[in-house]
Amino acid sequence: MARPLGPVRLKKTNPITLLIGAILCIFIIYFLAAPASSDFSKARKSTAASHPLSPPTSPFRKSNSKGKASPPPVSRYNLNNVTITSDPIGGRENVLILTPMARFYQEYWDNLMKLSYPHELITLGFILPKNKEGNSATTALQEQIAKTQKSGPEKDRFKSIIILRQDFEPPLQSQDESERHKMQNQRDRRAAMSKARNSLLFTTLGPATSWVLWLDADIVETPPTLIQDLAAHDKPIVAPNCYQRYYNADKKKMDERPYDFNNWQDSPKAQEIAAQMGPDDILLEGYAEMATYRALMAYMTPEGGDGDVHQEVPLDGVGGTALLVKADVHRDGAMFPPFPFYHLIETEGFAKMAKRLGWHPTGLPNYKVYHYNE
Amino acid sequence: MLPFTSSGSKVTPRHHVSGYSNGYPRGNTFELSPHRFQPRLNSTPAGRRRRRFYIRLGILVALGLFGLYYFFFGGAALSIFSLGLLSSGEDFQLETVRYYDLSNVQGTARGWEREERILLCVPLRDAEPHLPMFFSHLRNFTYPHHLIDLAFLVSDSKDRTLEVLVENLEAIQASEDDLAHYGEISIIEKDFGQKVNQDVESRHGFAAQASRRKLMAQARNWLLSAALRPYHSWVYWRDVDVETAPFSILEDLMRHNKDVIVPNVWRPLPDWLGGEQPYDLNSWQESETALALADTLDEDAVIVEGYAEYATWRPHLAYLRDPYGDPDMEMEIDGVGGVSILAKAKVFRYGVHFPAFSFEKHAETEGFGKMSRRMGFSVVGLPHYTIWHLYEPSVDDIKHMEEMEQERIAREQEEKEKAEKVKKIKEQFGDANSQWEKDKTEMQNLAQKVKQSTGEKAATEDKKDTTGASPKEAVVAAGKPAPAEKPAEKPAEKPAEKKIGGGAAKAEES
Repeated sequence: MARPLGPVRLKKTNPITLLIGAILCIFIIYFLAAPASSDFSKARKSTAASHPLSPPTSPFRKSNSKGKASPPPVSRYNLNNVTITSDPIGGRENVLILTPMARFYQEYWDNLMKLSYPHELITLGFILPKNKEGNSATTALQEQIAKTQKSGPEKDRFKSIIILRQDFEPPLQSQDESERHKMQNQRDRRAAMSKARNSLLFTTLGPATSWVLWLDADIVETPPTLIQDLAAHDKPIVAPNCYQRYYNADKKKMDERPYDFNNWQDSPKAQEIAAQMGPDDILLEGYAEMATYRALMAYMTPEGGDGDVHQEVPLDGVGGTALLVKADVHRDGAMFPPFPFYHLIETEGFAKMAKRLGWHPTGLPNYKVYHYNE
Repeated sequence: MLPFTSSGSKVTPRHHVSGYSNGYPRGNTFELSPHRFQPRLNSTPAGRRRRRFYIRLGILVALGLFGLYYFFFGGAALSIFSLGLLSSGEDFQLETVRYYDLSNVQGTARGWEREERILLCVPLRDAEPHLPMFFSHLRNFTYPHHLIDLAFLVSDSKDRTLEVLVENLEAIQASEDDLAHYGEISIIEKDFGQKVNQDVESRHGFAAQASRRKLMAQARNWLLSAALRPYHSWVYWRDVDVETAPFSILEDLMRHNKDVIVPNVWRPLPDWLGGEQPYDLNSWQESETALALADTLDEDAVIVEGYAEYATWRPHLAYLRDPYGDPDMEMEIDGVGGVSILAKAKVFRYGVHFPAFSFEKHAETEGFGKMSRRMGFSVVGLPHYTIWHLYEPSVDDIKHMEEMEQERIAREQEEKEKAEKVKKIKEQFGDANSQWEKDKTEMQNLAQKVKQSTGEKAATEDKKDTTGASPKEAVVAAGKPAPAEKPAEKPAEKPAEKKIGGGAAKAEES
């Protein structure tokens, strides 16, 4: 039958159409009511600062009001109440994970996400150089951050994240392994590294942090309980042993080898060398030209690697690959000297400065974290 | 539709008039069609019932869903109706990621134009009496207030420092004037269990210096590490007990564009102590003597400046002041005093702090200066740009003042006694005068009698003489409060002579 053109109407409403309509309505309502999926629970909102001018270790409220912004409030922080105990989860203690980053490794981020310490107590701080490499690392990092903080499940989201860009040029163009370890380049490189670490530390520490975990951007494997395990020792500065996995061509299988040689106990020989040095010279570890005969923690692990993971050794120099520090140590002023301090620089100088302030570093020879293998 | 639809036209239209130019049948476009669609559902009572039931069920389900939603998501459900446009105060979003480029906060000579933020750090301990003065300084800063972030560390205080501080700051932030508001304000409480007293004597005693300076350094570091943010370009350290400083001190120091810069710090003194005195001796230039001395000391020793125990022969910023000198004159220094330090935030970011240990034989602010130099930063003092520290009398001064007070009382006593003596003497002299007057009048009477007897002319002459005598007496009385030692007659004589002279002139005229 030829039907005249006009408004088409169904004679009878199809139940399926009604159902689809209802479902659509629910979707629309859902998206109206929850405009952004990055909404946080009440508990998290209660810890947020009310103004963007606030310690970066806490998130802040984005004001929706278009009106005149109110002046920042008078904030009181009682540092007598910031506890640092061997049970950081029980005490709801805030941890600040600091990472100077030149390259972004996906394995690093994946490992970070696996940490079992409650993420709502973790603040991440990154500092990246302002060059081409740094820009690409920043892009990659921000991508991962957006994925986690905006659309990830709430338990994966960190309390807050700070990204800093360095205000000085890195001394070396290349970050390649061979170039990086040349002895004459070491001093400049480590002085710049110290400045980066200090810039990151002193702008992000804030009034609420209990622990600072230094974790290099190329640490790709740690136990998920890293923070709890290190904090359980209740030492001012704790350094795990940093190893590297590699393919052992002799044994035809994957093997591991010591990587970080900056965790050491001092030796009379090293003291002797230091005594003869000029005020601007530095002692470096891991170079054949300068045999210091220091006791290196990297070699304190028994063959086969089945030593007691809780074993502690006192240290005089520490490396920065992974390092848990009580915030009080940094608050007292212990920093990473960018100049020769007792002929030591960067993390080793930090250990010395901490000792001058009465804080003694400890090493865990059998507790291992793994470095990226390039 | 084509225009040639009239049937009277000669030209036969190609198409039938009632037909359509586009070839489609016209239908009933302009008709008010009586053929409406009649729903069939409502036609039967059973259909109507069913429909009503569906509607009720639908409403119930919608209400139930909404209830559930409200239960789980709370207030967010309200924004369905407002379409998210009207959000209540409770409804906000969190920002968890912050991005800062540190090359934007280097600090320049004209920071106020580039909106550079300053962190103003003030360590406080038992400072309640100084707070009103401090807040008057704070209100007077000419640097834009919204660019100044305040950070206070209140440690080991037994008085109401904290309460007074909070009250004052909240009053400022709540004030009507937008220009009065400061930026971020952090008050940090931390007790270090300091045993050192804060009174002037124990504060400045030599023996207590090393440990006191280390504790002070610790407090400063805690304050800075808790308050420094990635958006700060400058850090200004200010002691609470500065009495007088230019309102534009931030701009004045900033203009020099140095990494670390300090003004000269003096203090006013009571006149008996010379009126003024250099106060901050911690700003100095290194000397060979001091370096040699440092080599002889053990690792933990701390050289403190301004004490006879360590003679360092260093040129001090304070002693180089010329009140009429150019306030912009700069001087390279190695140690700095902590009363008023302006430093670029970069200095602290790179790791310079106040050593709470012996760093190159120095601690706290002097160690800070040394460490800044070690890291290649410029450290400068302004010898002729002076701010004034509050004068708090030391124990010696107080003793001296007590002595002076006693002296004053003794002197007053003496004066009182003296005055009494004078009074007595006066009384006695007064007696003598009246006696003399009596004698005089008697003598005059006698003389008058003698003159009366001489004759009429002589009598009138004598009358003139007595009228001249009575003002002479009045003048003598006015000259009385002269020192008792001087003969009372002497001042009295002069006006008397004048009168006599006048009288003589009159006599000549007549």
